[in-house]
Amino acid sequence: MIARMAWRNLWRRKRRTLITVASISLGLACVVFFLSLAEGVYAQLVDDAVRMLAGHVTVEHESYRDAPAVDLVVADASSLRRRIEGVEAVAATKLLIAGQGIARSGRGAVGVSIVGVEPQVEAKTSPLARKMIAGRYLESGDESLAVIGSALAERLGLTPGNKLVIASNDRDGNLVERLFRVSGIFKTGAEEIDGYLVEVRLADSRGLFGLGADDVTQLGVLVRPGYDPARLREQLAAAIGDAEIGRLNLAVRPWQEVIPELAAFIRLDRVSDHTFQALLVVLVLSTILNTLVMAVLERERELGVMLALGTSRGRLATLVLVEAAILAAIGCTAGLALGGAVSGLVQVYGWDLSSLYPNGMTLSGLALSTTIHARVSAHKLFVIGALVFAATVILALFPAFRAARVSALEGAR
Amino acid sequence: MISQSSCRGAGGSGRVMLRLASVTKEYRDGEVVVRALRGVDLEIGAGEFVAMAGPSGSGKSTLLHIAGALDRPTAGSVEVDGHDLATLSERELARLRRDRIGFVFQSYNLIPVLTAAENAEYILMLQGVAAAARRQRVRELLAEVGLTGLEDRYPRELSGGQQQRVAIARSLASGPALVLADEPTANVDTATADSLLDLMERMHHQRGVTFLFSTHDPRVMRRSHRLLGLVDGRIEGDGAPADLLDGRL
Ligand SMILES: Nc1ncnc2c1ncn2[C@@H]1O[C@H](COP(=O)(O)OP(=O)(O)OP(=O)(O)O)[C@@H](O)[C@H]1O
Ligand SMILES: [Mg+2]
Repeated sequence: MIARMAWRNLWRRKRRTLITVASISLGLACVVFFLSLAEGVYAQLVDDAVRMLAGHVTVEHESYRDAPAVDLVVADASSLRRRIEGVEAVAATKLLIAGQGIARSGRGAVGVSIVGVEPQVEAKTSPLARKMIAGRYLESGDESLAVIGSALAERLGLTPGNKLVIASNDRDGNLVERLFRVSGIFKTGAEEIDGYLVEVRLADSRGLFGLGADDVTQLGVLVRPGYDPARLREQLAAAIGDAEIGRLNLAVRPWQEVIPELAAFIRLDRVSDHTFQALLVVLVLSTILNTLVMAVLERERELGVMLALGTSRGRLATLVLVEAAILAAIGCTAGLALGGAVSGLVQVYGWDLSSLYPNGMTLSGLALSTTIHARVSAHKLFVIGALVFAATVILALFPAFRAARVSALEGAR
Repeated sequence: MISQSSCRGAGGSGRVMLRLASVTKEYRDGEVVVRALRGVDLEIGAGEFVAMAGPSGSGKSTLLHIAGALDRPTAGSVEVDGHDLATLSERELARLRRDRIGFVFQSYNLIPVLTAAENAEYILMLQGVAAAARRQRVRELLAEVGLTGLEDRYPRELSGGQQQRVAIARSLASGPALVLADEPTANVDTATADSLLDLMERMHHQRGVTFLFSTHDPRVMRRSHRLLGLVDGRIEGDGAPADLLDGRL
């Protein structure tokens, strides 16, 4: 009967209740939407970065991270790759050789990152291959061809077809110089990539660094869509086996260790994002509190009657709490449904912001696609819903205590 | 006087249902002290049907609130159905109100979100009576108070007289020993007042419930079996209604 009374009490003031429910659900929907949007952007950033760089999970020499040097290699890369590609969650693997060098043209010389890649793999996986603004990306037969960033091209005065010399130290410390021809120029929008990255064929980079035919510095692994990248690391470690990891001095690293700047940026951005969302929730909660307090104050006499008839004060408080819980449950359900649905649409169809950002978007130097896809997580929806629901019921303790303090005499009037 | 009056009720069994001894009640409003009750001694036996009259402000409501454990006296002692109220905690007072006392208020004071039947059931719900049992009991009770067919109406869909019938049914549903009614007929026309009095009297006869009600209406006073006259917070008259009223008129 308490639940029935609570339900009917709520609908005594239809307008007020509807407005409250609407504000809870809209507020919550906004929170869900912005959160999903942010997660979508993060996911895209991560996805772009790991595809361009060394995968969701990277297999490399255990010392490479501390002091990157081309002699810290993963030997037997092809047999490792076969083992890894047997893991169900693996979408693709990419072999990389990453080292330092100097790129020189008639115009000058610039210290660069030289990355040796497999063109046919990169063409399928890396966004870089789709960011060519002049010439074309590498192809498998392209001996002594290089693709370079737009800023680097400008500084060295290079256009496709021009020559450049790349100098580096091989693993034994000898100076190696090789002549390359520019095949294409890419522009990602990220300065540290466009200004300093040179990509060449894996075989050419082996020549530059004096590495063996089955040596790479990184074996990158991309996760299949729908699989959890967080679990991939363990699966790979298991697939490779402790013996092999020990023999080859390998480390199996999640992308957060390989691109710590990106992980840190996302962590920081999440904090500011969540602060904003918490503010929104506080706003929503204050309207709920207001409604509940009003609902108690205008009913003091009636609550007094209930008390006079022998209702315990605890039950009066319970009545108000149940009313709050119903209000919150309806509002949260509607809000999650609305926010989830809108975010779901933006997840599937994307949200094209190119009219807002005609020159493209960057986020702390990282280029971003102008079509944003949200990312809805049922787990997050549940947590937000539960949080708002719990906060409402806790807040409702105030009006509930107020209700429990009415005087029975009030009810006798 | 006390022994004399306590045998007067219809079902008077000699047992004391309500006893007030030297009860005073003062309201303090800043510097001003209002003395609503100035030493009330009263004994009402189980099964009596008592009316209380007195000018406005004489303390009728105050007395009923104190007798009904809704308020505590400033001094003096109150005993209801053998319980000394001063010794009971607030929780125990609430339980006493729930189980032993029925209330009927001047403006009905039904719970607006409950139907007639649910209002009448309310206290049974508090007592933990199973839903089926209390529905059965309330249906019968509502029939007795003449509300068959109106069980599912909300208070706002009922006339004042009908609402007061629901209130009477509510006050009786839990089987109380004592029903306190503060001007139960003040807001209804005379015909309705008569029928409400009929109802209260019938319940009193059938169930042996003790009634104490206040009123301004001499017609209602005449229908009581014992009439108390309250003046300035004191009981100035106590006896058969005819004696008191005719003596005063
Ligand atoms: N809560 C209160 N605070 C201050 N004074 C009060 C309070 N309640 C009652 N009084 C005063 O106590 C006195 C008795 O009031 P009470 O309501 O008991 O009279 P009553 O006989 O019921 O009057 P009426 O016939 O008008 O209902 C009055 O003077 C009233 O003003
Ligand atoms: Mg009064």
